[in-house]
Amino acid sequence: MKMTKKELGSSSMNVKWIKKDSVQAVIMLAPMLIGFLLFTYVPIAYILRYALYSSNGFKETFIGLDNFVRVFARDAAYWNSLLNTIILTFGKLAVEIPLALLLAVLLNRGQKGTGFFRITLFLPTVISAAIAGLIFSLMFASFNGTVNGLLQDIGLIERPISWFSKKGTGLFVIGFASVWNNFGINMIFFLMALQSVPKELYECASIDGVNTVQKFFKITLPMIGPTFQVVLLNAIVGSLKMADLILSTTNGQPGGKTEVVMTYVFKYFFGYDGRSIEIGYASSMALVTAVVLAMISLIYMKSSKKLGQSF
Amino acid sequence: MYSSKVKRLTGNVMVYLVLSLIFVVTVFPVFYTFMGSFKSNMELLTGNLIIPSQFVLDNYKQAWELANFEQYTFNSVFLSFFIVVGTIFTSTIAGYVFERGHFKFKNIVFAMVISSMFVSLGSLTLYPQLMIAKFFGINTSLWGVIIIRVFGMNVTNLFVTRAYIRTVSTEIDESAKVDGCTFFRIYRSIIFPLLKPLIATLAILEFRFAWNDYLMPMVFTLSNPKRMPLVVGIMNLKGSGAAASSWNLMLAGTSIAIIPMVLVYAIFNRYFIQGLTAGAVKG
Repeated sequence: MKMTKKELGSSSMNVKWIKKDSVQAVIMLAPMLIGFLLFTYVPIAYILRYALYSSNGFKETFIGLDNFVRVFARDAAYWNSLLNTIILTFGKLAVEIPLALLLAVLLNRGQKGTGFFRITLFLPTVISAAIAGLIFSLMFASFNGTVNGLLQDIGLIERPISWFSKKGTGLFVIGFASVWNNFGINMIFFLMALQSVPKELYECASIDGVNTVQKFFKITLPMIGPTFQVVLLNAIVGSLKMADLILSTTNGQPGGKTEVVMTYVFKYFFGYDGRSIEIGYASSMALVTAVVLAMISLIYMKSSKKLGQSF
Repeated sequence: MYSSKVKRLTGNVMVYLVLSLIFVVTVFPVFYTFMGSFKSNMELLTGNLIIPSQFVLDNYKQAWELANFEQYTFNSVFLSFFIVVGTIFTSTIAGYVFERGHFKFKNIVFAMVISSMFVSLGSLTLYPQLMIAKFFGINTSLWGVIIIRVFGMNVTNLFVTRAYIRTVSTEIDESAKVDGCTFFRIYRSIIFPLLKPLIATLAILEFRFAWNDYLMPMVFTLSNPKRMPLVVGIMNLKGSGAAASSWNLMLAGTSIAIIPMVLVYAIFNRYFIQGLTAGAVKG
């Protein structure tokens, strides 16, 4: 009898404590939760609403789906910017990912001095994308840029190339700057994955007379498949959202030909760069963009399933 | 035996050659910026030499005194400081509450936070965010940026802290509970002090992010150029038209913006690499 009473007492004590604790937990989380709702979900609601309006920030009128009609039927520049984004993303990743993988394999050989290379090659990753773009736009400047200077000194070109006055070369410099800015992080991911591959596998293969190239394709790649899948997904999503780098290099020039989707829509929101502010239209483009980007990620996930399961 | 040794040696040499080549391409832009910042404007416009013929400190002086870089640097330090300190608290608290706390709808709330990762609007929510900040009257200073970054719940940080706190044995906080510690007290006196290594990583990640961020501070200082952080200030200088004549200022300004970052990286590179990888793998 005595025992039960004591137990009862302590258990009701426990309930009280837990209740108090969960109140505290909610209070502790509340500021972040409010901030999260306010700055993540409310903006989404805002965009959903304004996509159906015409608005310049002061006056707004409900226009139904007109904005979407305009995106799909009349705005070739938007689709061009989306196409640029996709070209840029896959073009630069075609260089960035193999480069990162190659460097990771080389660094994983455990030669002397690889620590030094690991740290220095990662350096560009800590530099701001906007600053990276600025540095590259100075280096590739047509008259006094150092790249033209070097190419002329070697004798590869006779006259300075005007890198930013053509779409192709403009996108090339943007892609170059982006690879420079981002390969380090992928290199480190691959390096970590490589280090977790058991050494015995390679030893067995060596005994069986398998050569280095075969080892890479038959052992290394399948073993790091899951990491590869995630790294590539991060890289694709990150590149599709690229904005700072474009603003600091070409800023869409010449004539909007190097615009990417994020900067294009951004300029409509803020009336940046001489455009008039069209919040409603920008919102509808933002929605279309979000859907397209989600679709690209989904297609990637579906088609790369095999990669993730390969080991 | 001998030939395999030779083969190995040539292999190693080849590896060094490739790594050195990439090293040169990687370091060159930073080196070029740094060297260029010591050139006179005359030399910048005409010469192709990478090393300045004469080291001029005047660019830094001009940038610092005339082009407002003193103010920009202060703003960057201010912005980064509050974001780093604030985020350390909000991230660890959020991680702790989601890992150890019990309250109704916890899992639903958590799922809601996580699901925001899949909506990739990127910089397209900047305008509505600015309008919300305007509603609260914090749209023309860096406080708006600080509040959004600190209280906006960073999902990557949340994952990292939650995973880290999971490795702390629950026995410690249970015995503290028996001694009458409340939920908050356990965080303050037991969990938080145990998180030191994680806090170093978080601090460095947030510092990198805050120091390098461009678009959000840019839109929050559009109408208040005095509050621009370094990256925004430099970009503003680039956009202001007088590009060719202000190369010296741009290069000096860029150096001012990247030197602190490079120094912090040189000292804490291990935390950088750990932090950046931990975030992405678990996220």
